[in-house]
Amino acid sequence: MIAGRAQFNPVRPAIVAALICAAPLLAVAALGVFGPWTDYMGHIARTRLPAYLGHTALVTSVAALSAGLIGVPLAWLVARYRFFARSVFEWLLALPLAAPAYASAYGWYDLTQPGGPADFLPTVRGPVGAGLIFGFALYPYVYLLAREAFAGQSADAYEAARTLGARPRSAFLRAAIPMARPAIAAGLALVVMESLADYGAVVHLGAPTLSVGLIRAWAGEGAIADAARLALILVMIAFVLFALERSQRQRARQTSASGRRRPPRRVDLAPLQGGLAVLACLSPVLIGLVIPLGRLTYRAFHAPLARDLFQAATHSLTLAVLSGAAAALIGLACAYALRSKKPTAVAAARLAGLGYAVPGSVAALGVLVILGGVQTGLDDMWTALTGMQFPLLVSGGVLALIFAYQSRFAAAAIGPSESALQRVTPTLDMAARTLGAGPGETAWRVHRPMVMSGSLLAALLVFVEVLKELPATMILRPFNYDTLAVIANNYASDERLGEAALPALLITLIALPPMIWIARRITRQEGAK
Amino acid sequence: MTAVKLDDRLLEVSGAVVRFAPGRPAVDGVELTLTCGRVTALLGPSGSGKSTLLRAIAGLEPLDAGEIRFENHLWSAQGLHKPPEDRRCGVVFQDYALFPHLTALDNVAFGLREGPRSTRRETAMKRLEAVELGHRAKAYPHELSGGEQQRVALARALAIKPDVMLLDEPFSGLDRRLRSDLRGATADALRQSEAATLIVTHDAEEALELADSIALMNEGRIIQTGAPDTLYMKPASLTAARLLGDVDAFEAEIKDGAAHTVLGAYPADGFTPGEKALLLVRPEGVKLDRADTDGALARITARRVSSGYARLTCRLETGQTLEARASLKENHRVGDAVRLSVEPAFAHLVRDEQA
Repeated sequence: MIAGRAQFNPVRPAIVAALICAAPLLAVAALGVFGPWTDYMGHIARTRLPAYLGHTALVTSVAALSAGLIGVPLAWLVARYRFFARSVFEWLLALPLAAPAYASAYGWYDLTQPGGPADFLPTVRGPVGAGLIFGFALYPYVYLLAREAFAGQSADAYEAARTLGARPRSAFLRAAIPMARPAIAAGLALVVMESLADYGAVVHLGAPTLSVGLIRAWAGEGAIADAARLALILVMIAFVLFALERSQRQRARQTSASGRRRPPRRVDLAPLQGGLAVLACLSPVLIGLVIPLGRLTYRAFHAPLARDLFQAATHSLTLAVLSGAAAALIGLACAYALRSKKPTAVAAARLAGLGYAVPGSVAALGVLVILGGVQTGLDDMWTALTGMQFPLLVSGGVLALIFAYQSRFAAAAIGPSESALQRVTPTLDMAARTLGAGPGETAWRVHRPMVMSGSLLAALLVFVEVLKELPATMILRPFNYDTLAVIANNYASDERLGEAALPALLITLIALPPMIWIARRITRQEGAK
Repeated sequence: MTAVKLDDRLLEVSGAVVRFAPGRPAVDGVELTLTCGRVTALLGPSGSGKSTLLRAIAGLEPLDAGEIRFENHLWSAQGLHKPPEDRRCGVVFQDYALFPHLTALDNVAFGLREGPRSTRRETAMKRLEAVELGHRAKAYPHELSGGEQQRVALARALAIKPDVMLLDEPFSGLDRRLRSDLRGATADALRQSEAATLIVTHDAEEALELADSIALMNEGRIIQTGAPDTLYMKPASLTAARLLGDVDAFEAEIKDGAAHTVLGAYPADGFTPGEKALLLVRPEGVKLDRADTDGALARITARRVSSGYARLTCRLETGQTLEARASLKENHRVGDAVRLSVEPAFAHLVRDEQA
């Protein structure tokens, strides 16, 4: 349309991305509606469904409440006050995201169970325990978004509240919090969505949620249509949250970006208060990351080595690297689609973005349904043609796994790519073109350097998520193809925590360096603006 | 406008139309000629299609009709579009469009493609020094002030030795003082470059000060072209007059070869009796005298001090108001009765477009 823009038609790549991300969900929905009804669904509805729903509600509420109570005050502290090592805590506070929630659950349950070294504490178990584990594992979502909002708020509103007679605490409650509310709500929605999708922690702590019900329906009963129906309930809850998160983020953008803003000056804390601030910043990192992992380390040293650990680590890394790269590509394609402003391309990119709301188990189920359908179709054709059976497709399962991961996580790659590409304004393209660079050269000399670090961020985000992912991997992994997460879960469900410790620990250790990079980049970006 | 010499290198726009959506085109049949070594200002209100015309010349917007030629080479026509990278148009964008991932020096060197890297960097350094930014060569755009960014953008565009220089509101992001400092330096650099230059602006003062000639644009059309003083003193219409500065208009009756107005009679050469005409009066042409002399009787209704003079609003007996300027040393007060007359050079008769 605009002759100065680099010529690249993103419609087709965006539609491919949308298909990858949305097809599994559509397959689940179709199966849920049209699939055969069995007695199992009625049985479940009478017996376990109420407990699943109750656990889901309780777990997610406790998770959201605790994540909010941890994340918001810390965000305010880090954004508005100056104290010892503040700039380190700024990114350190995000690190619990490197540990999968089930690792933290293993560690804390082992510590606090009767006879454990910390059995003076109430045992961490049940829906409340699981909710607290999620709160400490996932509060960084709230913290990161709220910190950005607080740091971006002009000091004017807070100061205006002070000149109108509000004391600091009431100015915080009446001016700062309401202005950051969209960001906080978006963070909480992410916390709830992640807790909904979890499998490992809730199983270990004995608080089976809908996700667990889904997997039991599929694995225990082979009732795939009923699993799809449970998945649909789950997806509907997730979509409500997703819509909330999106609309709140939209508002967060509107309330922060306008006009000239004067960044607030950080207030120096007195030594005693500063010490308390350091303590406040340390404790969630200790509780969410250091203590449970310390316990796992201890257990790992006192247990036989898990079998096939090295092979599982190789599998985990392969899957994570491939998925990260694929997601970065999908993210970039969608970002270009959004930039093109072509209605079809934009719609496709938005559809791809919906994947974020799809729990891993649901995505995996969808992939299973699709591959099953394709297999049946090919079988019929092949048999009609040759009289023989077509070779089994699902056993080419690494691709199926990556397919499911993309469906779940590629959406997380769209955001970073989009915001990187947003910096490449149309006039930069035009400037390059008038300076003699053709479309290809413009892409290489202007787009590539400006977008690269955004794509790396996207790839690493997905890398970490895939490393931690459990339910989709359990459902889709090829026979005898174990990952670290699967081994950890298998041992933990056999009550062999010592052997489960090392793989869980390894996941965190591998995820930690990229997570540090991600956290530092996200927090630094805001400071540079 | 000065006569075009035969050996002048020209950029010619004729009958150019750019249409974004059904309805009135953004650029609606524009005729415009740019001469190498001369600076033309394109002046018009926002939304008049100035920037679109500039982008069409740069090759960033295709033409729906008409054509653009440089030295008789066809650049744009319906269905024909020479890509921007092949036009050698230097463009300074309104937001400067500096590449944020490149230093000032690398920005300037971006368009240089002949010779080894070291010579290109040397050339770029010379261009930076020419705009007095040699010492900022290693700075990234976000580390530069607005004025420095503007100069880097100018140096970058000039570095490719363009045949045509296009500047889109190049001073709009700067504060007033900086703007007037940069204007002179920019105009000098542009004339030296021997490029045919077009500066898009909505600021009349800027256009008058910078340009060898001005083209006035309104609603997608060029309504008048000419030298700055001609345009200011002899606008073709009320719209043209308003684009260049404050003006008051009075209905005139053409009778016996003269235009009769509330402010008196003025020569009306070229007008036929009974024709609808307007007398355009610039505030600096209004003379105020004591109430017991000749002229139209008026009362001062407001006096505001502007930089260097007092701005007086006078209400005539007919109820019309008129803006006048007076020296600050004169002791005018609100409520004073005065007699008004207009210096003929500042009063200009045009046809009434409304009629």
